[in-house]
Amino acid sequence: MFSEDTILLLYEITDVLIAGLSTGSVYALMAVGMTLVYGVTKAFNFAYGDFFNMGGYFAWILMFGIGFQFGGYVTVLIVVMPLMFLVGYALEKLMVAPLRKRADWENKVMMLTLGLALFLTSLYTVVFGVRMKSLPPILEGTLEVGQLVFSYQDILIFVMSIGGIMVFGWMLNNTRIGMAVKAVAQNPIGAKIVGIPKERIFASTFAISTVMVGFGGILLSQKWFINPMSGGTIMVKAWVVTAFGGMGSIRGGLYAAFIIGLLEAFVGWLFGMSYSIIALFILLLATLVIRPQGLMGKGD
Amino acid sequence: MLNVSNLNVFYGESHVLHDVSVSVGQGEVVVMLGPNGHGKSTLLKSICGLVDNAKGVITYKGKEINGIATENIVNLGLIYIAENRELFPHMTVLENLKLGAYSKNARDHEKENLAWVFDLFPRLVERQKQFASTMSGGEARMLAVARGLMSNADFLCIDEPSLGLQPSLRHEIFSTIRQINEQGKTVLLVEQNIPQIAELADRVYVMEEGRISFEGDKDEALSNEHLREIFLGM
Repeated sequence: MFSEDTILLLYEITDVLIAGLSTGSVYALMAVGMTLVYGVTKAFNFAYGDFFNMGGYFAWILMFGIGFQFGGYVTVLIVVMPLMFLVGYALEKLMVAPLRKRADWENKVMMLTLGLALFLTSLYTVVFGVRMKSLPPILEGTLEVGQLVFSYQDILIFVMSIGGIMVFGWMLNNTRIGMAVKAVAQNPIGAKIVGIPKERIFASTFAISTVMVGFGGILLSQKWFINPMSGGTIMVKAWVVTAFGGMGSIRGGLYAAFIIGLLEAFVGWLFGMSYSIIALFILLLATLVIRPQGLMGKGD
Repeated sequence: MLNVSNLNVFYGESHVLHDVSVSVGQGEVVVMLGPNGHGKSTLLKSICGLVDNAKGVITYKGKEINGIATENIVNLGLIYIAENRELFPHMTVLENLKLGAYSKNARDHEKENLAWVFDLFPRLVERQKQFASTMSGGEARMLAVARGLMSNADFLCIDEPSLGLQPSLRHEIFSTIRQINEQGKTVLLVEQNIPQIAELADRVYVMEEGRISFEGDKDEALSNEHLREIFLGM
């Protein structure tokens, strides 16, 4: 038989595993959104992380700023998700689309979204202050299986992110707009020839990715708090996941997200949370040296 | 049905089309001949809204279409079928065909058009679940034409349909185009070779160095000595 210490250790490892999987699932959701925009428009959105806090802040405004708590998170999602879509769509139309007519626009989009990221971080600081805001857990309590204890929150975050990814995947393969998005990603000229309105698809893609990262923001803010700077950290993580998984590969992004979620959880448990970001950079550097195209990237 | 007048196109510094005027009547098959790189494709692309800065007047069914977005041109019933096919490689044949019916004008006719193109190209029926990237050159060409037909267009701009095909397949694709025309579609087709064209064309234009150098019906074209010289080396 195992000694009592070994059993305790096993429980603890299970805890870390669950935490890693739930965080990893949200990373997966966000990485899919990021990969989507890159795959379709071939431009990189540096303000992606700041839409993460935006989701969290919108939820906070609704629940505590206005104090509308009827329906809990169901109401939050019903209100905030369409709002994120509108914000994403409008920003793409107003800021990104005009650049697309110019030469070398991919780089200009990067600079512009980098500026947008700085602007949003400052805006959040002015409006909400530097102190952290927190959201209540989506569901309190724990599930006990024998002597193992799972928090409902972790389980629900996992289920909701995976659900979000599945809904997204279904849309991509079964709806007219989803097929059009895939068509533009696979062959922009072919898409134009058959009469797919590319501009509208670009804006919709951007907006959908904004919804995904905003959704991730609502889910993770319950575990981590929201502050004006968290967008930067999320951006770094989403980027590491995307690069590690392989630029433009959705499947690679999914694997990478879980590996990174688990890596973070275990490094945090063994050495302390501040080491987890160091572990990410080591992973990123190792990826760039050993397999620059990422886990499932196609390379050049 | 289609009128192009005094079309000028520049790619950066180079002047690709010089005052090109072309007209195609309803139900015709008009063939544009000419050496490679002399502007034939550019003309088709300009008509379908795929070229920026095309200067001149292009009218389709009496409507000015120069400068409007490609999706609106497709919606009016004009479709470009590309010489390099421009398929969606990681989608199945069926998905490629369905995307061909993306425009508003085509959506309601998707089912009947699908039945029609499967009838025209029986090989696509067998291949419908296969990825476009795994098709042979000839099959991919058929798929490109079929995807174009799915748009429910009345007017087809077909860019070098025989490019890279062996003679028997060339013959097959030309006879299918003839069949499509007999079913009511108007065709403007770009080609480099005379022999196959003779069996297909109602009228012929020749483009050299971005200018129309000849215009006439099939018999005039076949008996024109200059043309025989440049295309057949006779």
